Amino acid sequence: MYLALINLPNAIFSDMKNNIFLILFALVFLTNSKFSAQLSEDFIPKDAVTVFSINNITLLKKVSMDELIQYDFMTEVQAELFDGSTSGKSLKDSGIDFDQKLNVFYGKNQDYEVAGFSFGINDKMKLFTVFDDFERQETQIKGIELYSSYFNHLIIKENIGMVLRVDPTYEKISVLTDSIWMARGYGYFYDGYDNSYDEKLIEPDDEEEESIQEEGNFQEEEIFEETEEMLDSTSSENLNDFDLMNKNYWEMRDSITNELQYDYFVKILDEIYLNNVHLKNNDEKFASQLLHESDGIFYLDNSRNFNNAKGLWYFQSIMPELYTDFQQLYTGNVMLGDIMLNENSVDIHFEANYGEALGTIYEKLNGTKFDKNVLKYIHQNSTGFFTYNINLKEGYNQAYDIIIPILSQEKDPRVSSNVLMAELINEFVDVDAVFDTYKGSMFGSFNGIKKVKTTKIEFFYDEETFEYGEKEIQGEEDMPIFTLGFSTNRSDIPEKVLNHFGRMTSRFKNMGTYWIVEDAIFNSVPLYIISKNDLLIFTNDEDMAKNHNSGYGSQALKGPKAKAAKKSKFMYAYFDWGLALNNLPKEMFDTKQNEILDAMRGKSGVIELKSSKTTKEKTSFDVSYKFEGDFENSGKYLLDLVNSIYVLSK
Amino acid sequence: MKKLIFLLFLPLIFTSCIEIIDDISINSDGSGTFKYVVNLSDSKLKVNSILALDSLDGKKVPSISEIKSIVAEYKQKLELKEGISNVKVETDYVNFILKFQCDFVNVNDLQNAIKEIAIEKDKKQEFKEMQENWLTWDGSKLTRSVPTLTAETTQKLKKEEADALKTGTYTSITRFDRLIDKFENPKATLSKSNLACMIKTNPHALIQNLSILENTIYLTNTKKPQ
Repeated sequence: MYLALINLPNAIFSDMKNNIFLILFALVFLTNSKFSAQLSEDFIPKDAVTVFSINNITLLKKVSMDELIQYDFMTEVQAELFDGSTSGKSLKDSGIDFDQKLNVFYGKNQDYEVAGFSFGINDKMKLFTVFDDFERQETQIKGIELYSSYFNHLIIKENIGMVLRVDPTYEKISVLTDSIWMARGYGYFYDGYDNSYDEKLIEPDDEEEESIQEEGNFQEEEIFEETEEMLDSTSSENLNDFDLMNKNYWEMRDSITNELQYDYFVKILDEIYLNNVHLKNNDEKFASQLLHESDGIFYLDNSRNFNNAKGLWYFQSIMPELYTDFQQLYTGNVMLGDIMLNENSVDIHFEANYGEALGTIYEKLNGTKFDKNVLKYIHQNSTGFFTYNINLKEGYNQAYDIIIPILSQEKDPRVSSNVLMAELINEFVDVDAVFDTYKGSMFGSFNGIKKVKTTKIEFFYDEETFEYGEKEIQGEEDMPIFTLGFSTNRSDIPEKVLNHFGRMTSRFKNMGTYWIVEDAIFNSVPLYIISKNDLLIFTNDEDMAKNHNSGYGSQALKGPKAKAAKKSKFMYAYFDWGLALNNLPKEMFDTKQNEILDAMRGKSGVIELKSSKTTKEKTSFDVSYKFEGDFENSGKYLLDLVNSIYVLSK
Repeated sequence: MKKLIFLLFLPLIFTSCIEIIDDISINSDGSGTFKYVVNLSDSKLKVNSILALDSLDGKKVPSISEIKSIVAEYKQKLELKEGISNVKVETDYVNFILKFQCDFVNVNDLQNAIKEIAIEKDKKQEFKEMQENWLTWDGSKLTRSVPTLTAETTQKLKKEEADALKTGTYTSITRFDRLIDKFENPKATLSKSNLACMIKTNPHALIQNLSILENTIYLTNTKKPQ
């Protein structure tokens, strides 16, 4: 269960990935809020699970729109927004009021998924140059204008717009379609698609591809024409009852999907525009977060993510009581955050909230002293490092005390046998030895790119005959240098394992103060293992293994960074992005990438993550990105950063 | 043919520190042995890290087993060609070294075998380059060149990829069972035994100027001392 907390940031970033364009869009357009009768944040469906509400940004005051649209990442943002149909237009022609909040949302319940964003409008005419393929639709709701393009809808009320897409869940569609299909006497629908055909597919070569592309273009045109004809022939006037009753499975499924899509869309419209039901008045925590005077807020309701998790449907149907118990355990698991944009930093504060039962597990898990030994193995000039302090034994005991009683009430034979197994393992296995060996606390560091020794084969020639032979010589290659260490009270146990491997294979060598595993990384580079100072350390840093296996001594991490790591309770991370970029060999990137990355080189940028003490209610985290150096203004710096990350990730 | 050339130059795209040796031995009767060695051991870390990827720059990265099956397929095809025998392929997937060799009855058989495999691989299409010969032997004179199609393929390399090849080596060796009288390429060197001629360059220079390997070698009638 404690993994849930650890995975919270992943959950956020996973959603972020799904909405990358919307988020990039939002990041750029954090705007000043302007209060009106209704605000853009009043137009977020109550089913939204993740919301980024952006407010009060000063970026556009510092960077002109003309400069902004020159960035590489903007090319894709604009392409996504303008969908290629309005080429040549830029965001400044969009009619979007950047003085109002922009709220990007996504949510899922057991019936449907909802995604979109709400925003202010200052020029409706211009807005429709962006949404040029949206057509006006009739609606029964007074005071709103409804426009649609395929599955996307734009709803405008006064000067606030909401772009909305609603999709019924796959499970919902399947259940309904299958039940109607079976009720008509067709039995269980079996999809006779032969998957083995896919395995036989052979990647076409250049010529085939060209020919396929040519054919493809032709076929696309044909298909388009055929589809148009089909649509004409199956329009509602031409369909009779016989046609409706004789649809095949997939036609029926499409009809049900369309019908559900419409029903859920109307439901959400009614909730927001008729009954004034939306996320802000449905969730106090979100409403309260909106009052924060930060530049942007985010909200992630993990408890609803648990409720709607796809894999738990079976669990919910077969063991409803157990599901309810776990649901209660997860109640109140909400992440709330603030983003602050300052002249020389971007600060993010977020809180992971949870219910008491889960909170006691986290409290025990995170209630451990900082292992000072790790600081010895982090170099003071390290580009980046993290420390992670948990007491796995305490966490395990607490989780055992809370979760086993819940599971024990369940009469399902599988759950019962699993409970018995867990109880027996708990009795028979020396739990103390396990958790003394792997305490849970760990650290890692990145020390830039170094030359590492490799062996290579070189051919040599006999001058008499030019016959050649080969010899093994030492070579060097660039490699990122990482160190990963784990706290342990039982260094004798890893030593036993290493000794065993040392006897079994010559690749494991005991060098006295450290171990070396030959060709461990990519079959080329050795891995060094150090077991000292109650730490088990893995590194590819030869210098550390040979010369600093007892720690870096006077070169070890000290001063404010060491203090911050000690003070930050369960997690601390530091990464000097500027230093990393300066040290990465230019040869790693092509000319264009280097030109873009040059904009960031020579500037400092430090990311720091700190956590608070974990209580039964919450753990707080602070992420700060501080930047200094030669930059025009903070807005330009941030955009350079976003662009560099975008280019690096391409 | 394009595909075959691409396969031969694939290592150039993937890595910079590459060593290539092409080694051809010609007997007086026109028969001989062709050897081709690709040595990527100086970049094995880079090659291993690329092999760990599914794709690179939008192109699928083959697995070791796929590379093995491609190598085996070409070996099998070549073994069936007229005038070709004793086909051997040695591979070292730890150091990433590939050694290929085969015997041929005459240089035309070797060229034809390569051309036929290229045509088979490229869906039976004939290329105009198929007409050209890059090896000719008249009993006392050998002319070597590089297929023009190689130029077209290597021109497609990005500037960064081409620049990175400056650190590699390309060695072309031609051996005979008679003493060499003279040769036309000034970059070539003669072995002390006067039986072999070598041109050493780097893959970057070769890409820039394929004629760097062109050579016409004239032989004397003096046999190799026993």
